[in-house]
Amino acid sequence: MKGLRFLLSRAIQGLIVMFGVSLLVFFALFLTGDPAVLMMAPDSTAQEIAEFREAMGFNDPIIVQYGRFLAGALHGDLGNSLRYSRPAMDLLTERLGATALLALSALLWSSLLGFLLGAIAAVRRNSPIDFAIRVISLLGQAVPVFWLALMLIILFSLNLRWLPSSGYGSFEHLIMPSLALGAYYLSAITRLVRSSLIETLGENYIRTARAKGLTEWRIVVRHALRNAMIPVVTLQGMYLASLMGGALVTEIIFAWPGIGRLAVEAIQNRDFPVVQAVVLFAALVFVVANFLVDVAYTWLNPRIRL
Amino acid sequence: MIGSLKLKGNSDAALAIVLLVAAVLFCVLVPLLWPLDPLRGDISATFKPPMTVVGDTLHPLGTDQLGRDLLARLGLGTLVSFGIVLVAALISVVLGTALGMIAGYYGGWVDALIMRLVDIQLAVPFILLILLLVSVLGPSMTNLVIVLGLTGWAIFARVARGRTLEVRELEYIDASRAMGLSDMAIIFRHVLPNIIGPQTVLLTLDLPRLIILEASVGFLGLGVQPPMPTLGNLIGEGRSVILIANWLVLYPGLMIGALVIGCNLLGDWLVRRAESKVS
Repeated sequence: MKGLRFLLSRAIQGLIVMFGVSLLVFFALFLTGDPAVLMMAPDSTAQEIAEFREAMGFNDPIIVQYGRFLAGALHGDLGNSLRYSRPAMDLLTERLGATALLALSALLWSSLLGFLLGAIAAVRRNSPIDFAIRVISLLGQAVPVFWLALMLIILFSLNLRWLPSSGYGSFEHLIMPSLALGAYYLSAITRLVRSSLIETLGENYIRTARAKGLTEWRIVVRHALRNAMIPVVTLQGMYLASLMGGALVTEIIFAWPGIGRLAVEAIQNRDFPVVQAVVLFAALVFVVANFLVDVAYTWLNPRIRL
Repeated sequence: MIGSLKLKGNSDAALAIVLLVAAVLFCVLVPLLWPLDPLRGDISATFKPPMTVVGDTLHPLGTDQLGRDLLARLGLGTLVSFGIVLVAALISVVLGTALGMIAGYYGGWVDALIMRLVDIQLAVPFILLILLLVSVLGPSMTNLVIVLGLTGWAIFARVARGRTLEVRELEYIDASRAMGLSDMAIIFRHVLPNIIGPQTVLLTLDLPRLIILEASVGFLGLGVQPPMPTLGNLIGEGRSVILIANWLVLYPGLMIGALVIGCNLLGDWLVRRAESKVS
């Protein structure tokens, strides 16, 4: 019951957050005063700008405009792309699959490897292996994703000629973007799992298990990992925003036809309806993912479930 | 055991300080002392690899597509990037700490409002929000500093609020209130000194995020505009000629790595020191 009430309040908070993001995204265009001037090409005549302003409804009271924006957004209508004259939502959904493939593959390999490395480091703590894993995770967090991506291209595409330097469509195309994007995440998960496991391994029930003569690995797998998961799962949601940010840069470098590239191109082309759609969508993914994290948290932590 | 642990912590701190001091010296001394112009090049000396001598001038890190000296550009670029990041971080920490203390001290609807603002801020990927704002306001150094500063406050507010909630319950706060001190006086004189330490540690740990964010915006061409170099601009410009001049991408990336590792090690060490003090 307590768990349900907790989840319900989190869901309401999520709705409030989405409402706030919609305000942010809508009013950002009015920061310079006139969204029509912002959206039109710099060499447009005053007449063209005035006609555009009228056509886009920028002459209406601002509250009416926001109401229209919100009502549209709730129906999945975020206006038309100025560049492609097509619904921004369509452009977004077309690119969704590519970004999901990239983000989920990066998440998958880095989580699995991160759990493994973190567990090894925790069990063999203060050993040379622990030190080596620590160095790897420090380096992984130290370099920007775009730099790592360029280094991978130099190594695997230019020197070794093993992998295509950009493009989309085959497993070979996925390897480098996924590696570049997952590296930071791998470091974060490894560090988290290590510290969380070390803490859990100091608990009384683990000592009991040890006293029963179980091997260290058995204790980790059977007893400690579940509890050590709690902080790891809680922080997954937080990392998601940075993962999406990283995906944006990765897609640019590898010419990956996803939402990140759509966003950067839209920003460069002053195609603001598309930019608004991407920001709203990213926030929605973040809010939904964090809600799922809360569900997982309730499930992992019986103290809240009751 | 305790001895080795202590030593390990100190060697981390030593490495961090060496990296950060070296980076700071580099970005102050190179623009000051290195004679070559970071903005103007020698068209007859383009794409020279590191350690090339052209005429009687040495290019220790090579030259770029316009024959500009990479050492000079890296020095100035590091200075510009680090300066942007430090000022932005300062804006974030002041704004976030103030709002966090107000939320924690007053509680109620003020607290709820500020914390929902934190949630909203954290729900939008930083880079997306920054690109949106920079594209609306136009790319410039001032706009970049303001936007980076204004979007980074949320973490500081969350932590400041948590600490304020703890401090608020202490007896001497009650005593100050009974003595008739105003809320603002209590917040600044009694709450703030208690949270400056944790906020400084958080600032150290947040700098790497800002360094990489600033570099990403520059890499995408929406930060400080060329010909001014920044760490991100250098990598972004080098990207298109990576086939013939990979040093243009290599060295700026190593500089970012050194700055980030330095800040991370220093931050971790400060956290450990604070924890061992408590226990």
